[in-house]
Amino acid sequence: MLKVDNITKYYDNFLAVDNLSFKVSPGEIFGLLGVNGAGKTTTFRMIIGLLEPTSGTVTLNGKKIDYSVTDNIGFLTEERSLLTKFTVKEQAIYYGTLKGMNKEDILKRLDELLEKFGITEYKDKKIKELSKGNQQKIQFIVSILNKPKLLILDEPFSGLDPFNVELFKKQITQMAEEGSMIIFSSHRMEHVELFCKKLLILKNGKDVLSGNLADIKEEYRKKNIMIKGDIDIEKIKKIPGVINVESKGLEYEVKIDNMDIAKDVFKVVSKCANITKFSVEEPSLNEIFIAKVGETYD
Amino acid sequence: MTKKLKFLVGESLKRKIKTKWFVAANILILIVILCLFNIDGIIKFFGGDFNDNQIIYVNDKSNMTYETLKLQNKNYTKLLDDDEEVFELKKTDKSSEEIFKDEDNKDAWYLTINSDENNTINAELISDGYINSYDFAQISGIINSAKQSVALSLSDVDPVELAKISESVDIERVILDENKKGEEEGTQMIMSTVFPFVILPFFILSLFLVQMVGAEVNDEKTTRGMEIIISSVSPKVHFFSKVIASNLFVLIQGALLVAFVVLGLVSRMLLGGTSITDIPASAGVDISGMVNSILSSDVINELVYIIPLVIILMLVTFLAYSLLAGVLASMTTNIEDFQQLQTPIMIISLIGYYLAIMAGVFEGSLFIKILAFFPFISAILAPSLLVLGQIGVFEFIVAILIMVIVVFLLIKYGLKIYKVGILNYSSKNLWKKMFKALRG
Repeated sequence: MLKVDNITKYYDNFLAVDNLSFKVSPGEIFGLLGVNGAGKTTTFRMIIGLLEPTSGTVTLNGKKIDYSVTDNIGFLTEERSLLTKFTVKEQAIYYGTLKGMNKEDILKRLDELLEKFGITEYKDKKIKELSKGNQQKIQFIVSILNKPKLLILDEPFSGLDPFNVELFKKQITQMAEEGSMIIFSSHRMEHVELFCKKLLILKNGKDVLSGNLADIKEEYRKKNIMIKGDIDIEKIKKIPGVINVESKGLEYEVKIDNMDIAKDVFKVVSKCANITKFSVEEPSLNEIFIAKVGETYD
Repeated sequence: MTKKLKFLVGESLKRKIKTKWFVAANILILIVILCLFNIDGIIKFFGGDFNDNQIIYVNDKSNMTYETLKLQNKNYTKLLDDDEEVFELKKTDKSSEEIFKDEDNKDAWYLTINSDENNTINAELISDGYINSYDFAQISGIINSAKQSVALSLSDVDPVELAKISESVDIERVILDENKKGEEEGTQMIMSTVFPFVILPFFILSLFLVQMVGAEVNDEKTTRGMEIIISSVSPKVHFFSKVIASNLFVLIQGALLVAFVVLGLVSRMLLGGTSITDIPASAGVDISGMVNSILSSDVINELVYIIPLVIILMLVTFLAYSLLAGVLASMTTNIEDFQQLQTPIMIISLIGYYLAIMAGVFEGSLFIKILAFFPFISAILAPSLLVLGQIGVFEFIVAILIMVIVVFLLIKYGLKIYKVGILNYSSKNLWKKMFKALRG
């Protein structure tokens, strides 16, 4: 288990991470969210041992993270971290060996992953000759070569088309099923919602929201009602507790302050004609994020 | 971790050596060295005006100078061939107009020698084109020497006496202070041995070294590959891998340079058919002068310890250069910034280079002696002063010890900067961050 225990990081007088705590168990995919500058990168760097926390501790299976355990960690950075003059094979051998693997195992695992991602023909190509999407695939592949027990993915879907996003998702889910601990950061809230059962939202280095996604959504009082039919928008807007009514294609989205308001809205809507849909839905993670952080993620 | 260090060293070295550019550069260096060692043969092979003697038509109106002039001419031989005279003298009674009328004589000179009551003889030299100052100095020397001989013979001096007068004085050089003798010969030696065979390769290799470390660290840093590397190996291991690899590279490149020089000497023997020491100074490598000056000085007995000491100082300086380059590269965010930082380091070496040249002129300069202990400058200046005899072995060892201290300090404090620098991607408050790293 990864245990981040009350870590704080100061850069001179600037507080980058403030008393942050969370746990990630084997098989769990944990979402770490926050706008740019919220402290995500600093947190990742402290987890993999690149930075020493000003206070607090990070442990992996009870051991402080140092170079004796880093061979069990995989890290995919938000920016490209590939040495572009290398070929894919050279790059894999370079990073794989630094993770304590031998050449034979690296090449075997590389072949397996290249096959999985459908890019076997790039094995001897230089990284700089590859497209942005294929570079991202290689970056992902080299980060999981060592079958890490802890995998940190910072914006893993950057530059990928929907088909390749699916390939990545499949691989990440498989690794979680095999017992890896995965920390995941993405600008795409739908990915976070899809993957992560637990998440933490950072704002100015502070934990502003954390816990199980289902609980967070449950606790979040505001709900949305999706309605299809000829409704009287002005009448609905006048109902106390209705925040907004917005047209979304053929449907209307009614934002309400809490679940109790849904009954009042239903009373009004039931008198309207041609109603084919009335559905009370959970708010999206994006909405929760905006509400908590005060700005959009991207 | 040792396995990872070995791997990083090997990879770093492979990235430098297993490239077509390394092979191409070394082939080019080999060709240049081979050409340098056989430059006289190459020049002769392609031919040119230098192969033709400068023809001088001599109209000896004094009727007593031509033979003497011919004798004196024998003393002036060509740079590339000691057996061949520079000028070919032809006696003529024709006027200059008649001589130059012939197209074949366009490049010839026309020398008229007249009797002169006050000055024995006087001369007039006519040419179609400009006569360069070197050639003019030579012909002037020949004419003046001929004039002295003619004047003496006109004075009814006994031929035996005349021969004695004409013969050059046999001067025996006796230098009471043997060290002074060494100094005098040493100046020549510095110019002919230390510069081409020690200082120049050292300068080039240290440039390679600094650039190699800087380029590699920057490459890994700008691609953010550094974060992956440092999450697997400690900054200390990474730092030392760069230092070890770059120094190994320099040793390999240095060994190749030595091998190329040997090949150059062998090629001269095989192709030129001449002695390996018979390389003209004009080729920039005066081996015969070098060997003679070494043999004639006391330095030959001292080379046994001078060579190992110089090698030690240079190796320690290479180490310091690579450490410094690594630290500076970690602070910069791109290769352009590193190149700017690298310039002052190389200028320091250049200062050493020029001071070494000046050491022979400003003999015993206290300022130059003090600078011989200055880190980085010492690698160039101290060997020169040691060969010149201006500093002793003790002072040289002190220069080595100072350099060892610099290496120790670079490891101790440089590593602190390196740890912070390699993960710093902003030049904002750079110096503040680095000073903080030093304190931390």
